[in-house]
Amino acid sequence: MENRNISQLALERIKEEGIKPISRNIFSIKRVLFWVLVAISFIIGALTFSLILSALFNNDWDLYNKFGFSFIFRTLPYFWLISLAVFTILGEYYYRKTYLGHRRGFILIMGVYLISTTVFGSLFYLIGTGRFIEQSLENEAPIYRHIMLNRYEVWSHPEAGFLSGKIIRVMGEEIEVIDSNGFIWIINMQDVYLRGRVEIETGERIKIIGRCLETICIADEIRPWIGMRKMMR
Amino acid sequence: MESCDNKTDEELVELSLKDSDHFFCLSKRYEEKLLKYIGRISKFSREDAEDVLQEVFIKTYYNLNGFDPELKFSSWIYRIAHNEAVSAIRKKAVRPTIHLEIGDLERFGDVFDMAGDIDNSLDRKMIDIALSHLDEKYREVLVLRFLDEKDYVEIADILKKPTSTIGNLISRGKKLFKEEYEKLIGVSV
Repeated sequence: MENRNISQLALERIKEEGIKPISRNIFSIKRVLFWVLVAISFIIGALTFSLILSALFNNDWDLYNKFGFSFIFRTLPYFWLISLAVFTILGEYYYRKTYLGHRRGFILIMGVYLISTTVFGSLFYLIGTGRFIEQSLENEAPIYRHIMLNRYEVWSHPEAGFLSGKIIRVMGEEIEVIDSNGFIWIINMQDVYLRGRVEIETGERIKIIGRCLETICIADEIRPWIGMRKMMR
Repeated sequence: MESCDNKTDEELVELSLKDSDHFFCLSKRYEEKLLKYIGRISKFSREDAEDVLQEVFIKTYYNLNGFDPELKFSSWIYRIAHNEAVSAIRKKAVRPTIHLEIGDLERFGDVFDMAGDIDNSLDRKMIDIALSHLDEKYREVLVLRFLDEKDYVEIADILKKPTSTIGNLISRGKKLFKEEYEKLIGVSV
């Protein structure tokens, strides 16, 4: 059988069917798009890392002795850890989709990504971005509190002397606080130790350590809802 | 149209974008190589392989603006050919096998120390079967490395896999091929 001239046939088809090359812009946009997605995944990953640092550094580690080893599992920022894993995988995936991204191995890409995320995430934490985002989410996104419920669950045990809530009224040495279940508590602050950057003002969310009975708590210590360190701006 | 022989692939790509007639030079340059490659990784008759190749050239021309000289043009067009062949294999639902020619056998013999023993049709059949028994991921790298004589980076670019993975696949593929071949002929090579 005689071999066909495939190149000639292909060229004839190109001419007959009026086939034109796709515009260069389409490919350029596609290439830029993947790099943008890599950058977005990286920035979100670094911000997530700063939130993990913020959660860890501002955790109430002094309560470890009271709750034991389970305290670590009860207060780990699972949501942010899962988010970091998701954006790391997305970053790796999008990098691989860049023009020559396939040449690099999975471990190399993940290694570089994680090191960069750690470095930039730490910088974001140091300039206060982590704490700022956490506070913004706390104030603006009610769903965030439900997501982070495990971290504050230890503060929902008034019978054990651990309570949290929002100040709804300030009356000299007493304040009224509404907890996450909607119960209103009267907090006596006569001998209280105000820890960290806590402000006793209406609308402030606080954590209380003390002795509670029925609807009254004698507070030994009050600390701010998020963290105890001053936010660096 | 001026002669294409002294033009690089990249120059021909630019010329083809201006005038489709130049694309003939580019496709002609790769016609035989790609036809062999498609034949090697599929069970297609020459006629079917030619049909696949024609589609490869159409797709290459259609996507010509997507070629970036950071990559070798040969790697880029082999990638299109590979994808098109794999897609055609799936459509026809045939188990891919290797079609070996005498030249291919010599190259395989050199690599696997089988020289002098592989010039009959039985050995050719055995190599063909041994390769066919390998997992697709090993078969495709062995074909590109030892039959199409591509280097690791080119194979990585054609198959869109990391260079380190290609090295591992070739090393493991060679070992598995030897084991399969020895099983078939009943002696150690």
